[in-house]
Amino acid sequence: MRNLPHLAFAGKGGAGKSVLAATVARLLARDGEDVLALDTDPLLGLTRSLGAAVPQEAPLQAAAEQDEQGRWRLRPGIGTFEAVRRFATAAPEGVRLLQVGRSGREGPAAALPAAGAFNAVVHGIRDTPELATWSVVGDLSAGTRQTALGWAPYADRFVLVVEPTWQSILTARRIARIAGARGDVDVLLVVNKAADASDAARVQDAMGLRAAAVVPADDALREAERAGAALLDAAAEAASVRALHGLVATLRGSTVAGR
Amino acid sequence: MKVVVAGKGGVGKTTLSGTLARALARQGRQVIALDADTNPMLGVSLGLGPEQTDLLLGVRQGLDTGETEHERSTEGFVERFGRDAPDGVRLVVASRIEHPDPGCPCCGVSPERLLRELERERQVVVGDLEAGVGTIRRLREGDADVVVLVVQPTAKSLDVARLALEVAEGKIAKVVVVANRVRDEDDLQLIAAALPGHDLWVVPDDPVIAQADRDGRAPLDAGAAAPGVRAVVALADRLAVTAV
Repeated sequence: MRNLPHLAFAGKGGAGKSVLAATVARLLARDGEDVLALDTDPLLGLTRSLGAAVPQEAPLQAAAEQDEQGRWRLRPGIGTFEAVRRFATAAPEGVRLLQVGRSGREGPAAALPAAGAFNAVVHGIRDTPELATWSVVGDLSAGTRQTALGWAPYADRFVLVVEPTWQSILTARRIARIAGARGDVDVLLVVNKAADASDAARVQDAMGLRAAAVVPADDALREAERAGAALLDAAAEAASVRALHGLVATLRGSTVAGR
Repeated sequence: MKVVVAGKGGVGKTTLSGTLARALARQGRQVIALDADTNPMLGVSLGLGPEQTDLLLGVRQGLDTGETEHERSTEGFVERFGRDAPDGVRLVVASRIEHPDPGCPCCGVSPERLLRELERERQVVVGDLEAGVGTIRRLREGDADVVVLVVQPTAKSLDVARLALEVAEGKIAKVVVVANRVRDEDDLQLIAAALPGHDLWVVPDDPVIAQADRDGRAPLDAGAAAPGVRAVVALADRLAVTAV
């Protein structure tokens, strides 16, 4: 059994995926969980929201090599757990962090080695017994692309982060459809930036889902985003953080069978 | 004239693009609004409503149905797969990802190609790009005349903007930085300090736009006199001068 379902955070750009994923990851680690955070967005939103240092290049770059067809993969001898153990970097509260790469001035070719190694890691997680008891918290880039292209094959549960706008709701519906087509995942709704109860009700109605958490619109969170600080470092007592403590408790109340 | 709108996810690219397209159309120009996001939402901010927007077909998916296999010209795609939006804007969705394993989301009809091949003399093209810098990176010199780079007063959006400026350098002649959702002088200073040497087009934080986003309406329909909406309309006027 897992301690907790492996999570992938998804939603429209700006909905708050990275901030929520980072805060959940840190709260889980604070509770003593082994936490692997997966920053799947080359813009490194999760890395920044965790309060971790932004690396010059993704550490997995050093773990990659090309196969006979020229595709990048983990070097032979480096399994998924080995890759996590050796290449994940330490983020605050003991969270272990891997990145897909970093969008830089160079073209996409420069990012391929790390992305190939990262892809191998995310595909290996479910079959890695040592990680079955870990908490895995992934953060996908904005929109539907990464869900459709299968960047979170480890996920037992997609956390749909939705703010009370129609663009955000439509995006989350599309993600839920695409992820749901996989057949082996469930989705969990988190309403973010809710100004009042009617916001939460509107989003839940439009999604046809009950929210696992409603995170209020919060000046403290906005201030943290402005400063580029981790929410837990900038405003540990904020109303949004209280709501995320509640989300973590809800997540703990639900377990899924390990596969 | 070809304008592309870029920036981090959630900074307001789509809301600005839809308003800009309609404001340009109101000047009497022929306007094509190109939704270059594989999670297309431009229909919402143009005023088609969430339900209609969710039914729009992408050019790529339209070609996949095979019924128009002989249609290969970009102007033909606009005719065949576009749909009319308020103020006479013609909306074209490049590609939408709707299923797992979609294959290449753009094969053959990438947003870059559509943008490149659309005629620039007698019409204005407003391209709403996917979040991040991927599309700008794939553009070639001359594919777009102006990039409108949207930022808001957050550290992440400013980081993406700096990267976008580097990537666009030498490829797109003119850059307009839009400082969106500016509440006060501090917000403006934060943005100005992060992007020295760039003139900022300020769009104030505006509850009318926020409410339009909540309701799935076009800001121009929700309140054309609101300060934020007026600032975007004024940007359209300025871009029109650029085009002449």
